[in-house]
Amino acid sequence: MVNRPPGIPENAEIASTGGFNKYVGPLYRLADLEDGAVKRFAFAAAEQHMNGSGTVHGGMLMTFLDTSMSRTSRLISGAKSTSTVSLTCDFVSPAKLGDVIESRVRVTRQTRTIVFLSAELVCGSRTLMVASGVWKTSGAE
Amino acid sequence: MSATPEMLAGYRETKLIDPFEQFVGPLYEKGEGIARRYALIVDERHVNMRGVIHGGMLMTLADMTLGQAAWDACDRAAVVTLNMQTQFLKGVRQGDVLEVTPELTRRTRSLLFLRGDYRIGIETVFTASSIWKIIGEN
Repeated sequence: MVNRPPGIPENAEIASTGGFNKYVGPLYRLADLEDGAVKRFAFAAAEQHMNGSGTVHGGMLMTFLDTSMSRTSRLISGAKSTSTVSLTCDFVSPAKLGDVIESRVRVTRQTRTIVFLSAELVCGSRTLMVASGVWKTSGAE
Repeated sequence: MSATPEMLAGYRETKLIDPFEQFVGPLYEKGEGIARRYALIVDERHVNMRGVIHGGMLMTLADMTLGQAAWDACDRAAVVTLNMQTQFLKGVRQGDVLEVTPELTRRTRSLLFLRGDYRIGIETVFTASSIWKIIGEN
């Protein structure tokens, strides 16, 4: 078993295997909720994720959200790759150093080439961000 | 701070304060105040395994550059992002240079509306609209 930061389950799979995700990560995938209707991911806020006023940088929160939602679009469509077309984020409350931040992603609608998703970021019982977005699939099986 | 790359003649390095911005930077700028224009050279850290920039990096660039403009628009008072709306128009690859001149759409007593068209040459590849709250005096 690999060591995980406090608050991340030991059996969480690493979701950041390469590229920018690996650079800003590690990001983890958690077990689904509601029979697979909710996909979950998590990361622990570290020094490099912060802004100058001691909260987690909005860019890092949006990066984690984009990764969570993009991964969900691939998981549910079976497409080889998907691209973010649009994403709208509301910054509801801030996160701080050491917080374990969890994403919860739901599918609103799926067509042959488009996936509509909604998501929230939470820390414990607190909502940090709510978001919705559109993904384009390519190379569907 | 290091020398400005040759492909960004006329630009200087932007002074970044936030650890996350230093982690993904450098960012470059030219001009003064809210009329500043910004440039980012997309490098191997910013792309995904398909060699295309990560959406999160584009949104981070939007937060960085619109945030600089927000700060300029309220005489360097503290500001926080309330909302960010983004559209991804075309894939951006390693080695591309992204440029933007943020626009202040409107300022109220406590809110700032800012947007930007992010271009490679003359082609717009990404757009962002944002709302910021002014939370303190400078």
